Amino acid sequence: MSKPMSASAAAGPSNGALIRRLFGLAWRYRLRCLGVLGIQLVLLTMGILGLSFTGIGIDYILHKLNGTPLAPNRLHLRLPEAWPPMHVLAMLAGLIMALALCRGVLNYIYGVQLNILVQRHIVVDLRGEAYEKLQRLSFRFYDANTTGSIITRVTSDVQNVRMFVDQVLIQSLIMVISLTVYVIYMASLSPGLTVACLATTPVLWTMAAAFSRRIQPEYARNRSLVEKMVQILSESIQGIAVTKGFGREAENRAQFDAANDAILIQQHSIFWQVSLFSPAVGFLTRINMMVLLAYGGWLVIHGGLALGAGLVVFAGLLDQFSGQVNNVANIVNSAQQSLIGARRVFEILDAPVEVRTHPDAIRRPRLEGAVRFENVSFTYRGPSLGTADAAAELSAVAAARAEDRVLRDIELEVKPGQCVAILGATGAGKSVLMGLIPRFYDVTGGRLLVDGVDVRHLHLDDLRRNIGLVFQESFLFSNTVAANIAFGHPAATMAQIERAARIAAAHDFILRLPKGYDTILGESGNGLSGGQRQRLAIARAVLLEPAILLLDDPTAAIDSETEHEIFEALDRAIAGRTTFIVAHRLSTLRRADRIIVMAHGRIIQQGTHAELMQVPGPYLHVARLQLLDGSELQPPAAASA
Amino acid sequence: MSAPDRMVLVHRPADDDDEEQFKPLAWGLIRRLFTYSAPVRTKVRRLTVLTIIRSIQLPALTAVVAFVIKGPITRHDQAGLILGVLGYVALALTTDGLFHFRQRYALEIGETVVNGLRADIFARMQRQPMSFFHRMKLGRIISRVTSDVEALRAAMQDVLFVSVVQFGQMLFTAAVMLWTDWVMFLVVLAMAPVLALVNNHFRMKLSVLSRASQESFSRVTATLAESVNGIRVTQGFVRQDTNAGLFRRLLADHSDYNVALGRASAILSPLLELNSQFFVAILLLVGGWRVFHGAMEVGDLIVFFLLSNVFFAPFAIIGNQYNQALIAMAGAERVFHLLDTPPDWEDAPDACPLPHPVRTAAAVEFRQVSFGYNPAQPVLHDLNFKVEPGQSVALVGHTGSGKSSIINLVAKFYLPDRGEVLIDGREIRTLTSLSLHRQMGIVPQQNFLFGGTVLDNIRLSLPEASEEQVRAAAAQLDCLDLLEALPRGLRTEVGERGAGLSLGQRQLICFARALLADPRIVILDEATSSVDALTEDRLQRALVLLLRGRTSFIVAHRLSTIRQADQVLVLDQGRIIERGTHRDLLAAAGHYAALYQQFVRVEEG
Repeated sequence: MSKPMSASAAAGPSNGALIRRLFGLAWRYRLRCLGVLGIQLVLLTMGILGLSFTGIGIDYILHKLNGTPLAPNRLHLRLPEAWPPMHVLAMLAGLIMALALCRGVLNYIYGVQLNILVQRHIVVDLRGEAYEKLQRLSFRFYDANTTGSIITRVTSDVQNVRMFVDQVLIQSLIMVISLTVYVIYMASLSPGLTVACLATTPVLWTMAAAFSRRIQPEYARNRSLVEKMVQILSESIQGIAVTKGFGREAENRAQFDAANDAILIQQHSIFWQVSLFSPAVGFLTRINMMVLLAYGGWLVIHGGLALGAGLVVFAGLLDQFSGQVNNVANIVNSAQQSLIGARRVFEILDAPVEVRTHPDAIRRPRLEGAVRFENVSFTYRGPSLGTADAAAELSAVAAARAEDRVLRDIELEVKPGQCVAILGATGAGKSVLMGLIPRFYDVTGGRLLVDGVDVRHLHLDDLRRNIGLVFQESFLFSNTVAANIAFGHPAATMAQIERAARIAAAHDFILRLPKGYDTILGESGNGLSGGQRQRLAIARAVLLEPAILLLDDPTAAIDSETEHEIFEALDRAIAGRTTFIVAHRLSTLRRADRIIVMAHGRIIQQGTHAELMQVPGPYLHVARLQLLDGSELQPPAAASA
Repeated sequence: MSAPDRMVLVHRPADDDDEEQFKPLAWGLIRRLFTYSAPVRTKVRRLTVLTIIRSIQLPALTAVVAFVIKGPITRHDQAGLILGVLGYVALALTTDGLFHFRQRYALEIGETVVNGLRADIFARMQRQPMSFFHRMKLGRIISRVTSDVEALRAAMQDVLFVSVVQFGQMLFTAAVMLWTDWVMFLVVLAMAPVLALVNNHFRMKLSVLSRASQESFSRVTATLAESVNGIRVTQGFVRQDTNAGLFRRLLADHSDYNVALGRASAILSPLLELNSQFFVAILLLVGGWRVFHGAMEVGDLIVFFLLSNVFFAPFAIIGNQYNQALIAMAGAERVFHLLDTPPDWEDAPDACPLPHPVRTAAAVEFRQVSFGYNPAQPVLHDLNFKVEPGQSVALVGHTGSGKSSIINLVAKFYLPDRGEVLIDGREIRTLTSLSLHRQMGIVPQQNFLFGGTVLDNIRLSLPEASEEQVRAAAAQLDCLDLLEALPRGLRTEVGERGAGLSLGQRQLICFARALLADPRIVILDEATSSVDALTEDRLQRALVLLLRGRTSFIVAHRLSTIRQADQVLVLDQGRIIERGTHRDLLAAAGHYAALYQQFVRVEEG
């Protein structure tokens, strides 16, 4: 399964560019970030204070016990000598508790604020933007990317991007601040010891950076292997009838097992690297402790360092410090994931919107519906996304989506209110021809004019609101019937909705549904027949009373049984509108004002039914086939009358 | 009425609303999970040993530090200090050295279990008959294979081993503290229940909130999926802004759940830390008192100070692991339920392959067959008909008259409730499904293509076919030029489920696929409904030639396709009401003739 969008680290924006962009993203929320960091700073200070009090307490006990001189402490706290010892201890204990309570409250506030920043702002904003962008991307984008991949980008990849802000950026800043504060405090206790204990830190960070560079591509590969496995699973289930029908269960299973095992093998490689990295990091931090013991102990023994306020506090600080330093591994990991996610999310945000409204677009809220093709031609261009080899993949898939690639020399003039039927074999170009009118694709040669104006100069929304569409396979959203009909015009009144439904011959069956217009579609139990769904689609299309109606083979996916149900609807919908309809049946073709026959991207015949019946050609051929059916109904005894 | 605002948040019951999040620990499930680690059994044993060792090593490290401070340093004993430090280094080396194995083994075990579970689920599921797939939602199966299995991975590689380490840590630390000063230890012990209670309370609350958040998230995903699938409609109706607005509201709604969850979890760790600090304060007071009265040494204070964190930390971790375990149990139950679902039916153990004489068609016979998808509501009643080898049979009737059911029986997707279906004179139950399917070619109504190229898809029915054979098959259907006209010809990627092709093109591929394997029985289920008239004509001519020498069942609403059938069976509510050739039936001016009239009217207008 090609995944053209998740290019490897070699192609696409570099990590550096991505990181800069992510910083830019974080900058948007700088005030909140600063707030959160500020709280952390206060928390840090309190933590150190608390630790110091403990150290002082221990030294005080020693002092009272052994008479060891009370070393001056960093806080310049002078313990009242006059007080009974237990009172002093009680005071210290009280201070520690008070600090702890404050810390607790602040910690809670910190947690809540960070969460709000992340969940309510960053994630919502990013997802909202990605979604908005998605809505505007061309059909080519959707052809080139699987549904699953797109969904993952908006859901989990966005989470990975926000991970950059809270787990990479903020954590890094916290780490830097904490480390700075700790180092300063430790240095004030004993510079020599500080240096000795922290000697391994640069080594650790270099290791972490090297590790992350190695592991990032592996994680990316793992993701895509898992996606592939899920896709094979999903396809296998959806296509189980085909697999069973041809007796190919074994091959199908082999395919799945191969994908499954590929994941296993690749994971082993990741496991080796991870399990070499973590112990190494752990050991390096323990070296720090060893140095503390040896050198610090030596200092205490030779009087250069207090036991409590010195060594014990140092041990406590070192412990905190190591905790933060070990965090580096997590931060690096999160950075990896967020970069992968960022790349994928930004691909969406950056994807070019191919069809857009010209800045000087003419506004025409109501169109008459005169359509004119002037020497129109169309070819699929390779899409402009991703890298070179990705583009090759994309163009193959994307180009295959429209029935056809090419239109040539299309000359057609349609007056408002005329109905044009389009007939042609698979691949003749019918769908693309129709797709040019609402600008789903833009012409590559010639001009397409609506009401005398080149469609590229009309405001896109105006153009599309004046066009009603019914596709081959009607797509209805899982919402109420009324919501579906009012899809293009959510502010529609009930009267408007009902009128559209009546035109589409749907009003009656809607009323028969459990909740009428408020019935929710799409859940089991509300299975509408193909004909009913298509009639809803027709209602949806005519709601805004568009000047132009495009019907792309509306009866294709409907069984012949219910087909006749929608003919009444179609007749009513077509009345008075400029209509383009792809059709095969004589009944429809006969009613059109004009029929065009297409083959290989060209119009090869044009005229009314009567005119075309006189000329030998594909039209006559098709007509004959269908008339032949009818001729058999003539009662054999007619001749004897 | 239908105010636009009301159209927003339709609460669709999520696929797994009725699925539990937690289940109590069940040893049967756990044992069964462990059977999946059989391929790496030695690693499991080694890992168990390693975790026990590690549970001693970790607290030992802290203890050594504490005792070095308490001992040599306080006593100003330099030699002792050096010894202590060397001991620490040695311990650190072994701890971290062994950790490599501990971590790697755990990860590998987890992955092995996951791999085995996935393969098993897939294999067993594939053996199920079609009825299973009609009632099982795709989303559910995927969630078993992905999120439930992942929960099990976490359980296998973390829960047990991490818990062992943490417990060991607690025990070891407790022992050391007890030995140092049992009175202080009692103070420590007194704080433990508080910790456990706090943990417990918040754990449950968090789980409930987390579940609500997940459900909200699945709504977001579902809406997103719909938008992606319906993009043409969205763009065609200029609905982008409205949709974006609706989606933002959904996101805001979802973020509320997450914020609530965040609030709850933000309480937990500050509370735990408060507990530790409280202990430190008490340590100073009580410990200080005891030291002043000679009951304790200062060094002991330091020992307690350093070790208390090591003692308290496991509480939160174990609480978390327990949570994971409960989630995993629920997942395990669902997974094993899926694995254990017996197939509604399977080939009889003594079933034989259908003999495959070259280039002959099969004979099919239905003898007093009754059938219902739900046995209480039969859709076929006492059917009798016979199809000679090479004959083509057209099945005609309204929706629901039983045409698809007959096809499902011929294809052995379902078994008749009563009566017999005979292929070449042999009862279908005595034949292996595999052999039957290899001799059949089905063109279904809903064309389904797998991701891959056109060539891959056609070759599905005969993977060993060469490209020439595929071309030949397409040429015989007179559609080779249409396929080669695709951007990359036969090597064109069809896209997800064939989305890269039009309906007509997909159907052509399905035809080629069905005929490539030279089937003795051909089933065409509404096969040309999505193909345009001109292409259909070509196809029909080709089919006439191709179906010679094969037994075929054609379900059609387009009566033009069945004009050539040898036998037409007209069905109504599960019974055959008319049979004969097309001409005979027209002349008989019965039900069939009426149907035909209606059809022509639709065609000609």
